[in-house]
Amino acid sequence: MDSYDASESTPRQSTSLRPEDYFIGATFLQKRLESVRKQTSFIPTPPRRKIPHCSQLQEDVDPQKVAFLLHKQWTLYSLTPLYKFSYSNLKEYSRLLNAFIVAEKQKGLAVEVGEDFNVKVIFSTVLGIKGTQRDPEAFLVQILSKSQLPSENREGKVLWTGWFCCIFGDSLLETVSEDFTCLPLFLANGAESNTAIIGTWFQKTFDCYFSPLAINAFNLSWMAAMWTACKMDHYVATTEFLWSVPCSPQSLDISYAIHPEDAKAIWDSVHKTPGEVTQEEVDLFMDCLYSHFHRHFKIHLSATRLVRVSTSVASAHTDGKIKILCHKYLIGVLAHLTELAIFQIE
Amino acid sequence: MDETVAEFIKRTILKIPMNELITILKAWDFLSENQLQTINFRQRKESLVQHLVRLCEEKHASLNDAALLDIIYTQFHQHQKIWDVFQMSKGPVTVSFRETEENAVWIRIAWGTQYTKPNQYKPTYVVYYSQTPYAFTSSSRLRRNAPLLGQALTVASKHHQIVKMDLRSRYLDSLKAIVFKQYNQIFETHNSTTPLQERNLGLDINMDSRIIHENIAEKERVQQITQETFGDYPQPRLEFAQYKLETKFKSDLNGSILAEREEPLRCLIKFSSPHLLEALKSLAPAGIADAPLSPLLTCIPNKRMNYFKIRDK
Repeated sequence: MDSYDASESTPRQSTSLRPEDYFIGATFLQKRLESVRKQTSFIPTPPRRKIPHCSQLQEDVDPQKVAFLLHKQWTLYSLTPLYKFSYSNLKEYSRLLNAFIVAEKQKGLAVEVGEDFNVKVIFSTVLGIKGTQRDPEAFLVQILSKSQLPSENREGKVLWTGWFCCIFGDSLLETVSEDFTCLPLFLANGAESNTAIIGTWFQKTFDCYFSPLAINAFNLSWMAAMWTACKMDHYVATTEFLWSVPCSPQSLDISYAIHPEDAKAIWDSVHKTPGEVTQEEVDLFMDCLYSHFHRHFKIHLSATRLVRVSTSVASAHTDGKIKILCHKYLIGVLAHLTELAIFQIE
Repeated sequence: MDETVAEFIKRTILKIPMNELITILKAWDFLSENQLQTINFRQRKESLVQHLVRLCEEKHASLNDAALLDIIYTQFHQHQKIWDVFQMSKGPVTVSFRETEENAVWIRIAWGTQYTKPNQYKPTYVVYYSQTPYAFTSSSRLRRNAPLLGQALTVASKHHQIVKMDLRSRYLDSLKAIVFKQYNQIFETHNSTTPLQERNLGLDINMDSRIIHENIAEKERVQQITQETFGDYPQPRLEFAQYKLETKFKSDLNGSILAEREEPLRCLIKFSSPHLLEALKSLAPAGIADAPLSPLLTCIPNKRMNYFKIRDK
């Protein structure tokens, strides 16, 4: 499999999009996979992405269920397709996973002080978290504490949540057979020990593989530009970047917060193609921030490492952590992350 | 009698309505009965006032006397001012002192209110250097006590005003060094992590192999400028510097970006490091910053600030 590192700088050529490309949502990956399959020589083209917008399927989304996905920090993983997974067996999976967790904890493998062995595992589907009808349904796994007292039979506190989804995953879906379910993006919130146990069970049961999804500086820049491009009625957070400077012997972090309206003004000034974001525009946007900074401090931010971007839409950290703040662009953000996950799998 | 006092008395008397003049002057009890009898009320007011000022001069009216007249006038015309109401309470406070050798007094204050005893777990500390107008206070969680503390310090140290400087750090020694401008002498720090040989930022091959390609002359220039800017001594220890910027965007990239925009960009920039000044010092030699480094950064110890507000001129 040829390896292409998306973080290398690509030559700036302009290509026109074919109509079919536009409807699928032409992304860098799409074009690459298509050309590989057609066995034509691969010419690197500047990636273009559609500006995130509300999914047509968003009417199906249960706002209550989706609300709890927002304002939480999720750790990201890519996940290879699940073998012989069935949505009709969710109750069975709950039971099996529950037993597995209890067994693992009794073995003493999960060392979480004071943790209660009385837990309950729930699998549930989340409607509407998909890009096209072809995407498999997203589903959720939750670990809840079970109350000791028989009188309180209600659901306890949520200790851990993980959800599996696939947004515009066509490029992956096309490559696998019917026996596989493709949900390449996995997000977890809660104790790391629980994530490990859940991960082990899934890997054993469905012959799949989890891999932490790091987000490099190149992709963080894209996210910053795309999220700044999103139209917002009002801003709930300032736009902020964090760079880590590789100087020695002391480390140095530089945090650069800019008023979201001003960030938007810069973006609007560099943005040319309506409905799309191009590599050139992302580079120019970042260059504006770099040059404004350099004018004052004489420091070249481009020589340092971007580790975190934060906007009113969402925030992302290079370690593969994400927090989504805006309901309107949930699908758009997940689509971008799905793309990164698929890229990592291949 | 001072010119300014004469002027002050004149203007005060001018404010007094004619029908109140005698009452107020009698209440003032400064001019004698005889003098008051010489007043001719049928004069024009300006002449009358001049006459009164001359009488005050005869009696050598002082600034205090003039101020007293002003008080009496105000008492008669209270409604001309708008009054706020303050309620005071006797809050119990635990204050403890400890002197150290370098003329420093450590003061510990535990705050209580009208209803509660002093909270011993949230005290404020003040380190006051008696030979100087400087005091260092630990950030108090109980914000409402800050003005009171300021007043107390001012009065106790026989000053008139207290101003919070834009300088903050965990390292009291470093703050002292900066405030008393002693940082350019070699001073002891508790955790000096820069061994002597590392201060010589010469060709350290381990640092970065990409530097090999650079022009040697340029490298030497950078070394020299860094040396001149930061000196040869260990830098005082600060953990951060914060800049609030409101400046217009001026790009050398592409003249058209934000060209018509009049409003500045509102940015907040924060540098954080276990040892900020040492980290900044290493930037130019590492090729991450230009030399000379921006004065916004190099002025920190000299200006005794690590919080800045920058606007276009």
